[in-house]
Amino acid sequence: MDPLLQAWSYFRRRKFQLCSEVCSRILEETPCDQAAWSLKTRALTEMVYVDEIDVDQEGIAEMILDDNAIAQVARPGTSLKLPGTGQVGGPSPAVRPITQSGRPLTGFLRPSTQSGRPGTMEQAIRTPRTAHTARPITSASGRFVRLGTASMLTNPEGPFINLSRLNLAKYAKKPNLAKTLFEYIFHHENDVKNALDLAALATEYAQFKDWWWKVQLGKCYYRLGLYREAEKQFKSALCNQDMVDTFLYLAKVYTRLDQPITALNLFKQGLDRFPGEVNLLCGIARIQEEMNMTTATEYYKDVLKQDNTHMEALACIGSNHFYSDQPEIALRFYRRLLQMGVYNCQLFNNLGICCFYAQQYDMTLSSFERALSLAENDEETADVWYNLGHVAMGIGDVNLAYQCFKLTLANNNDYAEAYNNLAVLEMHKNNIEQARALLQTASSLAPHMYEPHYNFAALSNKVGDLQSSYIAAKKSEAAFPSHADTRQLIQQLKQHFAML
Amino acid sequence: MLVPVFTLKLNHKINPRMVAVGKYDGVHPCLTAATQIGKVFIHNPYSRGQRESALRMMQSNQDSDVSLLNINQTVSCLTSGVLNPQLGCDSLVVGTQTNLLAYDVFNNSDLFYKEIADGANATVLGNLGDISSPLAIIGGNCALQGFDHKGNDLFWTVTGDIVRSLALCDFDGDGKKELLVGSEDFDIRVFKEDEIVTEMTETETITTLCPMNGNRFGYALSNGTVGVYDRTVRYWRIKSKNYATSIHAFDLNSDGVRELITGWSNGKIDARSDRTGEVIFKDNFTSSIAGVVEGDYRMDGNPQLICCSVDGEVRGYLPSSQEMKGNMMDTSVEQELVRELSQKKQNLLLELRNYEENTKVELNGQMSEVDCQMGVIPANTQLQTTLSVNLGSDTQSCHVELTISTSNDSIIRAVLIFAEGIFEGESHVIHPSLQNLSTRIRVPILPPKDVPVDLHIKAFVGYKGSTQFHVFELTRQLPRFSMYAFCRPGSALEPKSFVKFTISERVQRVVMWLNQNFLLLGETEIQNAPFQICFTSLRGAGLLSMKMKASGEISVNTDDMDLAGDIIQSLASFLAIEDLQVEADFPTYFERLRKVLLKVDEYHSVHQKLTADMADRSNLIRSMLVQAEDARLLRDMKNMKKRYMELNDLNKDLINGYKICCNNHSELLGNLKEVNQAIQRAGRLRVGKPKTQVITACRDAIRNNNVNMLFRIMRIGMASS
Repeated sequence: MDPLLQAWSYFRRRKFQLCSEVCSRILEETPCDQAAWSLKTRALTEMVYVDEIDVDQEGIAEMILDDNAIAQVARPGTSLKLPGTGQVGGPSPAVRPITQSGRPLTGFLRPSTQSGRPGTMEQAIRTPRTAHTARPITSASGRFVRLGTASMLTNPEGPFINLSRLNLAKYAKKPNLAKTLFEYIFHHENDVKNALDLAALATEYAQFKDWWWKVQLGKCYYRLGLYREAEKQFKSALCNQDMVDTFLYLAKVYTRLDQPITALNLFKQGLDRFPGEVNLLCGIARIQEEMNMTTATEYYKDVLKQDNTHMEALACIGSNHFYSDQPEIALRFYRRLLQMGVYNCQLFNNLGICCFYAQQYDMTLSSFERALSLAENDEETADVWYNLGHVAMGIGDVNLAYQCFKLTLANNNDYAEAYNNLAVLEMHKNNIEQARALLQTASSLAPHMYEPHYNFAALSNKVGDLQSSYIAAKKSEAAFPSHADTRQLIQQLKQHFAML
Repeated sequence: MLVPVFTLKLNHKINPRMVAVGKYDGVHPCLTAATQIGKVFIHNPYSRGQRESALRMMQSNQDSDVSLLNINQTVSCLTSGVLNPQLGCDSLVVGTQTNLLAYDVFNNSDLFYKEIADGANATVLGNLGDISSPLAIIGGNCALQGFDHKGNDLFWTVTGDIVRSLALCDFDGDGKKELLVGSEDFDIRVFKEDEIVTEMTETETITTLCPMNGNRFGYALSNGTVGVYDRTVRYWRIKSKNYATSIHAFDLNSDGVRELITGWSNGKIDARSDRTGEVIFKDNFTSSIAGVVEGDYRMDGNPQLICCSVDGEVRGYLPSSQEMKGNMMDTSVEQELVRELSQKKQNLLLELRNYEENTKVELNGQMSEVDCQMGVIPANTQLQTTLSVNLGSDTQSCHVELTISTSNDSIIRAVLIFAEGIFEGESHVIHPSLQNLSTRIRVPILPPKDVPVDLHIKAFVGYKGSTQFHVFELTRQLPRFSMYAFCRPGSALEPKSFVKFTISERVQRVVMWLNQNFLLLGETEIQNAPFQICFTSLRGAGLLSMKMKASGEISVNTDDMDLAGDIIQSLASFLAIEDLQVEADFPTYFERLRKVLLKVDEYHSVHQKLTADMADRSNLIRSMLVQAEDARLLRDMKNMKKRYMELNDLNKDLINGYKICCNNHSELLGNLKEVNQAIQRAGRLRVGKPKTQVITACRDAIRNNNVNMLFRIMRIGMASS
């Protein structure tokens, strides 16, 4: 067989390593074979390719050091920085727990769902250490740098293409080579500066008419943190050619600039051009979910109408139904996920807790057993035990609940919710000091939760430590302003203080 | 006496001239102003009640009224108003040296964000001429651009110099707005869409313009002059040693006519009647005034005049009620009138005594020593003025010479000449020492620009030893092209550059124009075509030669493109030509322009590389900083020190890079300005419709990067061959 055809066949079958080896052999014989060269760059790129749109996370440095957003304190409901609760009618934190950023838990884990905005640098650095998130230092470092160096290691004799010796202007004039070369530089070498140079030369050669190069320019600018320049390129690309990708990139730029409403409008424009496009609908739903808007579910439903195997939509609607007190309906969505072949600990964990609240007790424990057997790490095990603790509380077996929460902590000793629940159990046993200690741990681990603060306040009030009770109640109020019990407690304390 | 209805102290500095009031939610007017370090603040005192329920907004009351917007660049202009009529609320337009942002404050969303190569020095928002949608018009380096709410530029033209101020005003009373542009070459130009209607020359950079009643508008110059124009005629003006930072038209005395409110750099604020310039109200701030705007800030249906100082002090004034009858000054009108009348009486008495003395002399028939002292001169004494060109000597450069002489033996004690834009401080006094008194005084004049100027001359005439003098007042016009001396054709090599055009007019009319606009002194008696006439420039810009053929074809040879433009404009307005197509060739200038265009391209590509470089470095710095902080939190002092050292080095690098970037940018700006000026010059060579055609065609050529096309358009005045 012709070696080039063979290489091509390997490439089509996604056997990139083999493909690149065959190409290297061809290149040894005929160093100027452009087809083989181009195919090898593509194979090397595909090996490390990640989706630029979905897998992207704002780094610590960008989060803390940049002022990309125009409005520092925008009106609630128009910014991703301040999730406006109450104003748009999302569920209250009393029913649906919130993440550190003050948003309700979503049903699907994606990079942007953890985008809390810590107040100080110390908090920002400490959070990823304790909360099991691997947030990169900057979006230009982290994963991208790791990819770039890792790919270099695979070629002990040195990199495939020596970028510093490349005459970019020459390649820019060969459109068939330039595109693969660009992707190689951008994804494999992760050398954004050179990629930008190449893209600029190529777009000039194409007389600023090729939308593809404009999108690539925009991607480079986005990676460099020059969002305004990126916006310009993407917009210009959209003038040449309507592409779903370009809309998604542009929306990402607006999200970074903290202009969710502009992003939503853009998605709607995109939907006019591409009616029923799943990615655009999903984009709308994600932004609305991040802003605590109830309409997010509607958009997830629209997504399902177009693509009834969309996992993110299924999971998000499921969790939304669970937290809005309809475990039976949630159960249907999770069963659907199971049908589609998702078979992991998290799903069985969700199924178990849904079954319990839907009073299908026969399935509850077996689901949890399955979840435990599928658990891959300690954190997942901890989650299962925590849910089992809830089941034990529900059937009134306090001892079992106590043991479950202890097991949760044995598996993951940063589990603030478990500390809080244990403290409540200790309170019932009248172990006041123990309860206080547990609550303090819980509130230091998760300052965003109002429960430990309130429990601490109530406990302190009971034992007569009014000062610390007031302080904790204030914290609770800051975390959840419309919590009636906290308000009542503060009122009561104020009366006490006034009497003194 | 008018007192402020409200006073606010905002703890933010306010940049001069960057204040606006906008209803960003369609209901509540909010004071918006640019403040330091590239930020804009919005003062919104209405939402205090609603804010408290919002999550995590723990701010003091004073601060919560003010919200800050990050622009991250130095703000150079700012305005607000309706840009998108469908939105139902005002938008904020912020210009910086490189970008223009139109922003919907209520929804925290951009309308558009545009890169503006020419910068934005001034901005105005509103409807222009027949363009249906409101435009955000910005003025930068010799260029004017107007954007609609989608960011499409519907309006583009060039102007003579860096734009400093813009205003929309119904200048010719046709119900549509014209654009007034004040620029650094001291001209106020009036644009009817992209066609220049009128130019008015002032004496300094025009810093602010504002529309007033009807077709009047107010203006302020950087030398402290403030005045009002009615169409092209100046109504009144005053001058102060402070300069006006902001002017605004507002009806403060409720008489139905808007007054000119001026905020001064020394913190004074005054209101002047638009007819006379008489002060009807004044107040003082502790620091310089930043801006004067109006808005219904108390939401009671009456608009207030809102004055802001640079320190963030804001005062609002309500118009005076009817009972006060516009009397807002401390002093009573009667007192003022009595003082004025008594002064007039004093003057008249003095004059009367003078006349009495004169009659006494005439009765005596001869002059005595005493008469001499009284300064009596013969009744038939005349003051003569002549203008001539002095080609200069070793000690003196060439200049225009104004000779003032008396018709008899009386001497001129002093001469006071008032002329705009020629002398420093506008007036010039010649006061020869006692020994050198004579009947003749020569005044060298060096007009910096080719504009006709009225010289108002006041001469003190009498005799040596007189203590009282007669004052002769007369006005003499300095012709437009006075700085060009007549010379014989063929005395020097003719310039290669030329403009050529054909007119259908009699030769006599052209000669008349020549006589009016040049200092010819009767040296030429041209009766019929063809003829040739030559001049040398006193400014050292070489030879100017004009030829007219019998067919009516006129060619002007000069290397100075501005001069050629001036000649064509002047001739066209004299002969009332509406449209004139001109063929032009300026090989040396075009060659220079070609180099400039090449440089612009270079700077653009370098600029892109530099920005990418800087962004890359700043990414590195950020990650370094986080790593250093991480090391600090882990108490790893050794590593932390290492990181911070590296950070320091990188920072130095970055600063150097920034300096290079800055230099690059300023040179780019300079070159772009030159390109815009070239287009403007090419436009000035034509009159009427061909002029606008040339400008738009040139822009298209530059957009398409077609240099040869650009030169062809400049040469023949058309895009197609």
